Amino acid sequence: MEALKITLQILLGITSLLLTLLILLHKGRGGGMSDMFGGGMTTSLGSSGVAERNLNRFTVVLGLVWGTVIVALGLMMRFSAES
Amino acid sequence: MLSAIGRAFRTPDLRRKLLFTLGIMTIYRVGVFIPAPGVDYGNVQQCLALGNTSGGLYQFVNLFSGGALLQVSIFALGIMPYITASIIVQLLRVVIPRFQELHQEGPQGQSKLTQYTRYLTIALGLLNATTLVSLARSGALLGNCPVPIIPEDNLVVISLIILTLTAGTGLIMWMGELITEKGVGNGMSLLIFISIAAGFPSSLGEIWNTQGVNVFLGVLLVGLLTVAAVVFVEQSQRRIPVQYAKRMVGRRTVGGTSTYIPIKVNMAGVIPVIFASSMLYLPSLIAQFNTPTDGTTAPPEWVNWINTYLVSGDSPFYMAVYFSLIVFFTYFYVAITFNPEEVAENMKKYGGFIPGIRAGRPTAEYLQYVLARITLPGALYLGIISLIPLIALVLINANQNFPFGGVSILIMVGVGLETVKQINAQLQQRHYEGLLR
Repeated sequence: MEALKITLQILLGITSLLLTLLILLHKGRGGGMSDMFGGGMTTSLGSSGVAERNLNRFTVVLGLVWGTVIVALGLMMRFSAES
Repeated sequence: MLSAIGRAFRTPDLRRKLLFTLGIMTIYRVGVFIPAPGVDYGNVQQCLALGNTSGGLYQFVNLFSGGALLQVSIFALGIMPYITASIIVQLLRVVIPRFQELHQEGPQGQSKLTQYTRYLTIALGLLNATTLVSLARSGALLGNCPVPIIPEDNLVVISLIILTLTAGTGLIMWMGELITEKGVGNGMSLLIFISIAAGFPSSLGEIWNTQGVNVFLGVLLVGLLTVAAVVFVEQSQRRIPVQYAKRMVGRRTVGGTSTYIPIKVNMAGVIPVIFASSMLYLPSLIAQFNTPTDGTTAPPEWVNWINTYLVSGDSPFYMAVYFSLIVFFTYFYVAITFNPEEVAENMKKYGGFIPGIRAGRPTAEYLQYVLARITLPGALYLGIISLIPLIALVLINANQNFPFGGVSILIMVGVGLETVKQINAQLQQRHYEGLLR
């Protein structure tokens, strides 16, 4: 049980870092504050090319792994505390 | 209206967008309830049930994250780092000439600025996460709760929590961008919108439970009136007519049309209110640092003064300061975002003029004159709307996050209007009748 926990923790650390990096690689959309709360036109350009689409796919997969690891860790903590 | 909603869902393109937006929102709300790894969910709930967290410094931030902050969930920081980063980047435009250059470059420079905002968001997220975790460790986050929030207190667990919270901030930012890109409306503001909306039922229920049905109905009535008033002011604008001269470009005739420059009564949106609130938190923060912890020595005179006049919203002095700060920041922000000289210059370049006023400097002066006069009611309106929760605090003893007033209602109405307008535009590409008539 302890080994699994440590593995999950390491996995979580790695995925968190990678996720942050991948998200920073994306092209930003939207133009800051004035765009957020009314005013200004939103110019929505179409998604650009294959690179962005693959990046999207990677990010989604990584996000899923990240979420699963967190839920698993949470569950383990819950049940080890009660037993 | 209902048939319009049905039609929106029957249009395949629009249906995909709406469902995508709803899906992302669901993921966001689910994430709010997943505790960060290493945080004991049971203990957090126990502490929240003790309920001495109200009135704290974090109420404002907690409002923006939809209750995620106090639960120390993976999305605890919410959208706040992104908002702070955008404000900083926007203000830096005044200070750093390079940012101003980028802003004037058009879409290319704008995307560069957005990229800077994103980096800054992650940095701020890291900073906020560290603060939050250290607060949670010392127990100060939940009002000195006896049970530990993080039971396993070692370096590995702590740094893991910080990493996770930072990644969560990034993920929220990305989800907002995805909505902007593939869904309807502006993603960031929609995420704030649902966070605030999620708090509505519980705070309304609280009023019902503690104050009785009569006060509850009164609050609803006042709320509806406020919403109507806010919609009215948000939609109102002054249209300055602009005539474009006819000219030949190559073999085609260009221009000769007459349009208008819309100048909204409330150009600044809710940002002045956010600025003013954060400025007013500073004194209480300083006072908190300077209060002796042992409890025997009395705090200095000026700390007492701050505590009586600048911390709680029920003193008239606080209200006056709040109001004047909002008025000031409204003018300040409008001056930053709308530059009459730039507009006049652009109009001159394309052969446009306001009837009766010469192009160039007189136009800029005229625009400045109109702007200064129309911003006054806008600023007063912002101030009054933001005072509603404070007045309600005095009148019916509601808690400070009174649902119908202040920042929440301005954001709700603003975002709602904007999103409905976008859906309308999408609908009208196919049919002629929109959601609103």
